[in-house]
Amino acid sequence: MITLTHFLAVSACLFAIGLFAVLVRRNAILVLVGIELMINAAILNLVAFGRYDAQFYGGQVFALFAIVLAAAAVAVALAIILNVYQQYNTIDPNEIQDLKE
Amino acid sequence: MTYPILATLVAVLSPLGAFLLSALMGRRSVSRVLSIASIAGSLLAAIYVFGQVWEQDILHAQWTWFTIGEYQMRVGILLDNLSVVMLLLVPLIALPVHIYSVAYMAGDPGTHRYWMYLSLFCSAMLGLVVSDNLLVMYVFWELVGFASYLLIGYWFTKESAARANMKAFIINRIGDVGFLVGIGLVYAQFGSLDVRYLFGEGGAVTQALVPDGIWQFEDHSLPAVWLTATGMAFFLGAMAKSAQFPLHVWLADAMEGPTAVSSLIHAATMVAAGVYLLARLFSLFDANVLTIVAWVGTATALLGAFFALTQHDIKKILAFSTVSQLGLMMVAIGTGHVAIAMFYLVVHAFFKCVLFLGAGAVIREMARLRDRYRLAFDPQDIRAMGGLGKRMPITAASMGVAALALAGIPLTAGYLSKDLLLVSVFKWGLQRDGLVTLIPFLLIAVSGMTTFYIARCIFKVFFGKLRVRVSQGYLDTRVHVDAAPKSLLIPMAILALAALFPLFSRQPLHIDDLWLVNGLAAGTVSEASFGVLHSLLPVFTTALSAALALLAWRWYVRGRYQADPSQWLYRLSLNQGYLDAAYQTIFVRPFIALGRAAKAFDTHVVDGAVSGVANAGRKLAAAAGWWDFRVVDGLVRLVGKTASWLGNVFRRSQTGRVQYYMYLMVFAVLLVLIYHLVNQG
Repeated sequence: MITLTHFLAVSACLFAIGLFAVLVRRNAILVLVGIELMINAAILNLVAFGRYDAQFYGGQVFALFAIVLAAAAVAVALAIILNVYQQYNTIDPNEIQDLKE
Repeated sequence: MTYPILATLVAVLSPLGAFLLSALMGRRSVSRVLSIASIAGSLLAAIYVFGQVWEQDILHAQWTWFTIGEYQMRVGILLDNLSVVMLLLVPLIALPVHIYSVAYMAGDPGTHRYWMYLSLFCSAMLGLVVSDNLLVMYVFWELVGFASYLLIGYWFTKESAARANMKAFIINRIGDVGFLVGIGLVYAQFGSLDVRYLFGEGGAVTQALVPDGIWQFEDHSLPAVWLTATGMAFFLGAMAKSAQFPLHVWLADAMEGPTAVSSLIHAATMVAAGVYLLARLFSLFDANVLTIVAWVGTATALLGAFFALTQHDIKKILAFSTVSQLGLMMVAIGTGHVAIAMFYLVVHAFFKCVLFLGAGAVIREMARLRDRYRLAFDPQDIRAMGGLGKRMPITAASMGVAALALAGIPLTAGYLSKDLLLVSVFKWGLQRDGLVTLIPFLLIAVSGMTTFYIARCIFKVFFGKLRVRVSQGYLDTRVHVDAAPKSLLIPMAILALAALFPLFSRQPLHIDDLWLVNGLAAGTVSEASFGVLHSLLPVFTTALSAALALLAWRWYVRGRYQADPSQWLYRLSLNQGYLDAAYQTIFVRPFIALGRAAKAFDTHVVDGAVSGVANAGRKLAAAAGWWDFRVVDGLVRLVGKTASWLGNVFRRSQTGRVQYYMYLMVFAVLLVLIYHLVNQG
């Protein structure tokens, strides 16, 4: 049988991969990808727990909100990345150290 | 305040006033006039006082000097026969010397100093003879020594003069210590320093008895040895001042001063102060002290005459003659004949002063001769002189008379004084036994030597031919030597007249009628008391003198000189017994070495300690500074450095890289999760 635990494990793996991508990638867009993956992991978690809310389908509804928010976040992030590229001519986050002490 | 006392004050203070005025006014020639006027005033006052006091009542005036608690120190003026004789003698000699000095010191720069010091000396000497208190007498004693020092060193730029005046002062100081010790002892025993109370008729000193070896006076008593000690202490003072052996060495060197000074101070007055002191304090001296005085006097007389025999410098001959004659005066005191000693002092003052004034005139003319012909010789050396009798007749005559007085030839006052002295000492000696019986015979020897050396001096200077060689073929007769100017000759001649007998006695040969001696002695002196001695002795001494004078004539005028200058006796005499060298080795060098050692100690140890302390302070300060800088401030700096280091450490987490921040955030969340997980379990 596929239990809740399997869903949570998959979601955790997704989250971890996304986290890894955020932390390691040298390309800002791929960092975005990682963020997306983390959001999707969270959405998967929501949907998995939504199964147990037969009355309001809260999980499902929240998942829809999350998808929208993810899209918005990506839009804003892309705008930021574009501006960063215009300023620094690179989108490697490691290269941008202006706030270094 | 009676008139004689007032006159005495005038006599003493008038030269002092001249001194002070000259000192204030500095370099003006009016000092000369001031000094002469002041001493003339002193002379007039002294004549008046003498007339009032001689052979009349003793005058004594006192004032309170200071009061300590209930004790009042009273000092004042004592006028008795002894004081007024000296009071009259000093200005009587000083006034001619002052007048003589005008011409003698002419042309010398800085004569205002000379007149100043001369006036100071006269004032101090007069104060010395009239003071009635031992302490005041001591003050004047010191002042006289100080004035002597100033005058010996008058030409202080000359090395020898500077050394001579120090020598005189230091040796006088030795005597002053004795005087001061004596004052202390007298005060301890008698509680008073009043001269009349102590030494007058029936004075305290005569009342102090010596039963069983204890010197007893009222309620004070000391072992009898202190009586001798006191007498010796005062005699030490007199020894230094009156140039007795072994403290005579300063007088010969004191001849560095101007000759007029030598005549006044070192022949007639200051050196007589010692004799005066002993005469004044005579009742203090016991038999032991008097014996010592007599022997010291004899030794001095012999040595002085011995050294005078060979000296070349005319002033040194006269200086040693003074030493010798002072020795004779001391013998007179030592044998108990105070009045005779004072008489000898007075007569000696006149003829010795004349001898020095004459010597000064001769030296002056010889110096002018040397300058005129541009020669090089010592104007004081008698070997350069000769034949001056024809060119300086009055000088020669005066010095001749004075020399006859010194030699004790009849018709002079010197004969009277010497005759009296010798006869008295003979009578004294024959009454005793032991070594002291030699003393009279030794004095005869002194008398002989005296005649010889003064004859040598006179003959070499005034007779024969002038020995100075003048080049370019000048013959002796063409060498021009002036007679001395009148202002030098007149004082000399007047004093020379005083050296003849009429001033002192009505007849030239007999000693019955000496008013001076009779005034000063306890009883009258009569010829009869001496018996056959008085007939024999003067004949013998006069014959001896004549014989020796003849010998001197043969040697020095005829030129048949027979003594050998390299013989040891001759050299001993010429080098003054090598006493100066002895003193130099025994006393002077060790003291100078001690001084150097003390200086080294002072520089290295004492000053070293002070700089050592300073260095230690500096090192301590450096250490404190180091501590302050490194440790105290270091702690503060450490705090700062720690903060800075800590900041640097934390700064490293601010990399400016977003992913790094996110990584940290995840890490922190993880830690919290693990913590909770652990706590749950």
